[in-house]
Amino acid sequence: MRGILVVVAMLAVPASTSGLPFRVLQGTASQADTALESRVREVAATLRCPVCQNLSIQDSPSQLAQDMRKVVRERLAAGETPEQVRRYFVSRYGEWVLLKPRASGVNLSVWLLPLVMLLLGGTVIWVAVQRWVERGTRGSAPAPGAAGVLRDVGELRSRRSALQASLKELDSEFDAGRLSAADREYLRQRDQAELTAINEALKQQKKAAPEMPAPTPAAAPATAETAGGRRVPAAVGWGAGVALFGVVAALSLKGSIVKREAGGSITGTQAGEAPRPTSGGGGGRGATFGEVGPLDSLRIAQLEARVRRDSTDEPALIELGHLYLTQGRLRESAQVNMKAVQLAPDAEGTAEAFAHMGMILWSTGEMDGALRSLDKALYLHPDLPEALLYRGIIEFAGRRDMKEAQATFERYLAVAPPSANTARVKAMLEATRASQTP
Amino acid sequence: MHWRRWLVPLSALPVLALLAWGLTRDAHTIPSPLPGKPAPDFALRTLSGDSLRLRDLTGQPVLVNFWASWCLACRGEHQVLVDAAQRYGPKGLRVIGVVYEDTRENARQWIAERGGDWPNVLDVGSHTAIQYGLFGVPETFFIARDGRIVYKQIGPLDPAAIDQWVPKLLASSAATGPNVPEQPFAQGKSEGYVRTSPDFPATRGTTKPN
Repeated sequence: MRGILVVVAMLAVPASTSGLPFRVLQGTASQADTALESRVREVAATLRCPVCQNLSIQDSPSQLAQDMRKVVRERLAAGETPEQVRRYFVSRYGEWVLLKPRASGVNLSVWLLPLVMLLLGGTVIWVAVQRWVERGTRGSAPAPGAAGVLRDVGELRSRRSALQASLKELDSEFDAGRLSAADREYLRQRDQAELTAINEALKQQKKAAPEMPAPTPAAAPATAETAGGRRVPAAVGWGAGVALFGVVAALSLKGSIVKREAGGSITGTQAGEAPRPTSGGGGGRGATFGEVGPLDSLRIAQLEARVRRDSTDEPALIELGHLYLTQGRLRESAQVNMKAVQLAPDAEGTAEAFAHMGMILWSTGEMDGALRSLDKALYLHPDLPEALLYRGIIEFAGRRDMKEAQATFERYLAVAPPSANTARVKAMLEATRASQTP
Repeated sequence: MHWRRWLVPLSALPVLALLAWGLTRDAHTIPSPLPGKPAPDFALRTLSGDSLRLRDLTGQPVLVNFWASWCLACRGEHQVLVDAAQRYGPKGLRVIGVVYEDTRENARQWIAERGGDWPNVLDVGSHTAIQYGLFGVPETFFIARDGRIVYKQIGPLDPAAIDQWVPKLLASSAATGPNVPEQPFAQGKSEGYVRTSPDFPATRGTTKPN
């Protein structure tokens, strides 16, 4: 019994060719299914959709993302760990496919850099605070006031030379043995700090001074430079930095800019793209990015126009029937499929329409009608995988005729190309066999 | 003391370097991990219903071309492939089209209109596309005789890419690959590949007047 539950859980997957049966079955299978589904969601949310812009395959409605989710589900169901599944996708698409880069190699800098910056910033703040505290505790010493109180350049200069002299004196005092090493260090630091403050103040004075005779901003740095002698003012450094930035940015951007031709895609395509005439939204080269979701509706609109022009356009009708079906628009799907059936009831191409009808009928509870429709589809096209799949599912989950289901699934596996459904059908086949052996 | 003035401009340098590196790269280029690795095997149905397994072709250079009838870029590319098949086919090059997210009917019609006598397989459920890390169509994988992917062309093929890579494929040796008989699909299901008649006889005359 548990085996069947698991199988049914696997059925709950919306499939590209047959979203409906799986969705219909979902109701019967929700329990066993939720655990796997939540794991699928968890993994899918970490993988980037190749045809979208910064969407995970969990969030993307595109066909490829759906197919990728199916692969995730299959691999998880087969017992792989989420990490193994991710590794598989990385082996195909590169690290790019991971929305969160791995914390190793060069990527590690993304993790470490903020930490390093935090440490650096913390150190700078700590040092600055230490200095303020030191100045504050010196109280009576003239140093803290020096920069603030001694406004006059002359005063500052004389204080500076006094300090320089006293610093030299400290050494000779120490050499003479009149000063302990600790004291010397303390005094030296104190005087040095004051000296720094005075130098700062002098600098301020220098900067402020030229503005009085020549207040134009352009003249200020020039005067400052002559006044400051060999020192280059910070403004020049800043200017050079900004200019360099501009040059680099301009040169880099020049290579990145691609002129958009009239009518070209905004997202930058390599070549023109046409909306795709198949089910699902795939997205093509270049234009793939970002414009995947609406393609189905676009294609539907196109097909609807074709049918309006020529109501006997059989391929368009059948394709519409399929698209409506995948979107759950059963009534519309039934209408176009019926039309296709009426147009060419016995053509091989109509088999698909009959298969669609079978699916629609089953989802509305008309199991017998559904089976008749699928019989007709298989009569027209004995190996139509879609019809075999639907039929097998109805036999398996509806009629619970395991023997028939087994035969149908075996046939399906023999004729259908390997697809996302293959694993599920195999699992169902397993279950049919298991239920037949007592 | 005055080194401080250079602190800010200097610390901007790494940022600038990073920007210079980042902005001069083509953001659309995503390095693929596949070149150099063995081509993922697949067994799919051709449009005519035969089954085709890539592994059966080991020993021969192969172009695996992903395409779809809804892809405009594939239209221009198709002629390049036709030419390549004509020029290099007799020298041993094999071409396989993988139809991506498309219907059999559409693909058939497309080939009937445009020609091409190489087999095309339907990739239902895009399993093979995902195996090949496909981003979109067209994409083409150049596979050497030893079954390794040598080059991946993202976007439409051009004659230059063909002329650059196909001779390398033809010159490649199968030494590192498994033992491959001269005629690997002499029997069995891979017959689909050696069929000289295309999936659609050219006599069908479905080429549209435009």
